[in-house]
Formats: sequence, structure tokens, C-alpha cells
Amino acid sequence: MTLSELWHATDATTLWTTPEADAVPCANVVASDLMSDVLMTDEDCPLLVTSLVSDQSIRTAHVVGAVGVLIVNGKLPPPEMAKLAETLHIPLARTALSKFRACVALGKALAR
Amino acid sequence: MNPIPLPPSDKSPLVFLELLYKLRVRDVMSEHLFSLPRSATMRELQLLMAEKRITGVPVVENRRLYGIVTIENLIRAYDQGAIEAPVSDFMTTAVVTVEEDMPLSIVMSYFAKYDYGRFPVLSVDNEPIGIITARSLSTRLLLELFKAVADLEAKLPPPPPVSSTCYFKTFRVQKSDFEHAGSAATEIKNTLAARGIPPPIIRRVAIAAYELEINLVVHSDGGTLTFRADEDDIQLIAKDTGPGIADISKAMQEGFTTANDWVKALGFGAGMGLPNAKRVSDHFHIASQLGVGTTVTIRDELPKK
Repeated sequence: MTLSELWHATDATTLWTTPEADAVPCANVVASDLMSDVLMTDEDCPLLVTSLVSDQSIRTAHVVGAVGVLIVNGKLPPPEMAKLAETLHIPLARTALSKFRACVALGKALAR
Repeated sequence: MNPIPLPPSDKSPLVFLELLYKLRVRDVMSEHLFSLPRSATMRELQLLMAEKRITGVPVVENRRLYGIVTIENLIRAYDQGAIEAPVSDFMTTAVVTVEEDMPLSIVMSYFAKYDYGRFPVLSVDNEPIGIITARSLSTRLLLELFKAVADLEAKLPPPPPVSSTCYFKTFRVQKSDFEHAGSAATEIKNTLAARGIPPPIIRRVAIAAYELEINLVVHSDGGTLTFRADEDDIQLIAKDTGPGIADISKAMQEGFTTANDWVKALGFGAGMGLPNAKRVSDHFHIASQLGVGTTVTIRDELPKK
């Protein structure tokens, strides 16, 4: 499954991405608002699902090698966060779904 | 207050003492000598001072020094309503002068001995040829010191050859600076990627660097994160200047935290920083002393080529 398909599955709006980045395959998801927990994960190239709208979400995604960041609960990231996502080449999108519902949608999409 | 506090002592660095004996007044003095005749008025003195941005003017006629007028004399003339009086009425006639071939060591002792900001310079024929001020002296001395230090450095043996593949950088991390927290880890990760380090190792080092950087921001009074990479291994050293950890074994327990709600709201402070940094490193060492600071050293070995 590509990142683009996961955006679609969660009805997400992209804030920054590229066609090449959207075509990257993704098979893992890490969902947390606690970046300390995300840093503990051993998942390979995950999609980071979080409602934490700060630079640290992007930096954490970069450090753990995440293929993208999905902001849940309809939160709107500040412009600096989108700017950092662009600088570090981390695709960034937002969805109105709650974290739980976004994870359910992602789980169903990945199980197909 | 004297502009030059003390003449040099025997304990001054040798290179400095050598300079003070080697340099002569003529090397340091300003040759643009602005002077006035005795008949010039205090008003003319005021205009000359304002135009040339100087605070003292020698009174010279026919290449002979008669005195010196300074800003103090000008103020006195104003007080007495005598601004149109000739400078000869207000000048100091007991002028302390220096000779052009005097070593600077003596001039410095003059600055310490007399409470003057400048000394007219006389040639061997007793003609005024320049002026030496505290500013001209200190500026020239600094330039000469730079040159002397550069000469000394040039004589140092060359540093031992460093492996061209060795990389070293120290990042300064400020207390509570969440805006830049993680930027060092980002740079470290990019550097490792550019060096062609295997991605699993990059991830481990980047995570460790990020955890240590966040720890410096959240828990320390500020410090540094040093990163070194060569062909054999990668090392991270997080060093702060306080406040130190009271109980290291507790700090290493997963879930133990002293972070406040503000830090937790930013997604950190779960008490996993140090344990996670240890988890992703081959070698982990922590030393801490209350009131002194904490140093965490991490090393990851690279596969042999």
C-alpha cells in the first residue's frame, strides 16, 4: 500500500507532499501523541499518526525514518510545522477522523 | 580612571614584554598632528576638536611646542565666559612629552604615572612630530600581538594527521529551547546518511541523539551535544552544567520522570529518554553529580569493512 492510498483511506488532506513521496510503500503505522513512545518503536518506515501539532512530531518522524505524518482530530498544524516537513521531506497530511477511527481505517486498508 | 591601568610586570607573557621593548613611540604615534598657534582662540580650539574628533591639541609655533589645550581647558574657558580668549591663556605649559625612539614599555608607565590621555611626541631635534594616545597605543599593540601570535602559531609543529573520514561537531543546546530541540539530531542523521552509514545504525544514532538533546532541553541548565564519527564507530557525548541527577539508577528506570506537565504536553517527559538512549546504543555510560552536571557518553560500533 502506498502513502497516497493511506491518505485516501483516512480522507486526509495533504499539507505538504510530492508525487514521489506519496508513491512510497508503507506497511506500518505508529500512533501516539507521546513522541517518547514513538522513539521506542522498532517499526520499519512507519506512518506516524498523532494529534501533536508541533515541530517535534516532524523531527521525531524524521529520526525514526517515518514515511509521513498524519495529524488527526482535524487539528491544523502551524505553518512552521508544514515548513519543517518540507525541509525534512516528510509528507504531512491532516484528517478530521479521531486517532482511533483513523487507526481503524488504516488497519482495514492495510489488511486488504 | 587611567586608560591603561598598569605598566606590564615581569610576569607578563614574554611575547608581550618583547613587543613593548621592540616597538618604539614612532611605530605607534599618530603622525597627523593637529596643532594651534598660541594666538588661536578657544572657539577655534572647540571647532578643531569637533571637526577632527579629538580631545587635546598641542600648541605649536615654528616647530616648537609651547603647551597643550584639552577639553578640560575648554570647559574652564566656557565657565569663565572666555571662549574668545587665546589658547595661551588656558593651555598647560608643563607638558609631559615622549621621544620618538622611546620603547613602549616607558610610555605605558607614563600612562600609569600621569593622568593624561595623550602625550605629544618630540623628535631628536625637540620638534613636535606626532601624538600618542591611549587609543593609538592599544590599537597598535593589539595588531602587533595578533601578528606575534600568528608567528608563534606558524612555528607550532603541524597537528597529527586526522583521518579524512573523521567527522566531529559540537552543538550547543539551550535550556527550555523547544523551538530548536531536535535540530542537532536532524543534522546528525543527515550527516550519517551522507557518509553512507547503514540505515539501521543511522536510526539508532539519530534516536539516541534526539533523546539526549531533548534531555538537555528539558532537564539541564543547558549544555552541549558532541558528535564524532570515524571508520570504526560513532560517539555521542551529552554534557551539561547542572543541576545533576540525584539518583542515576532511578533515572534509568523506564517510566521514571521528573518532567513537568508543560514538557509532557509537548510529547516528551515519559521517563523513557535515558533508557531508550541506552537501548539504541552499543555502549552507554552516564556520570552525574548534583550541582555539577551530567555527562552521557554513547558509542555505536560500525561494521568492519
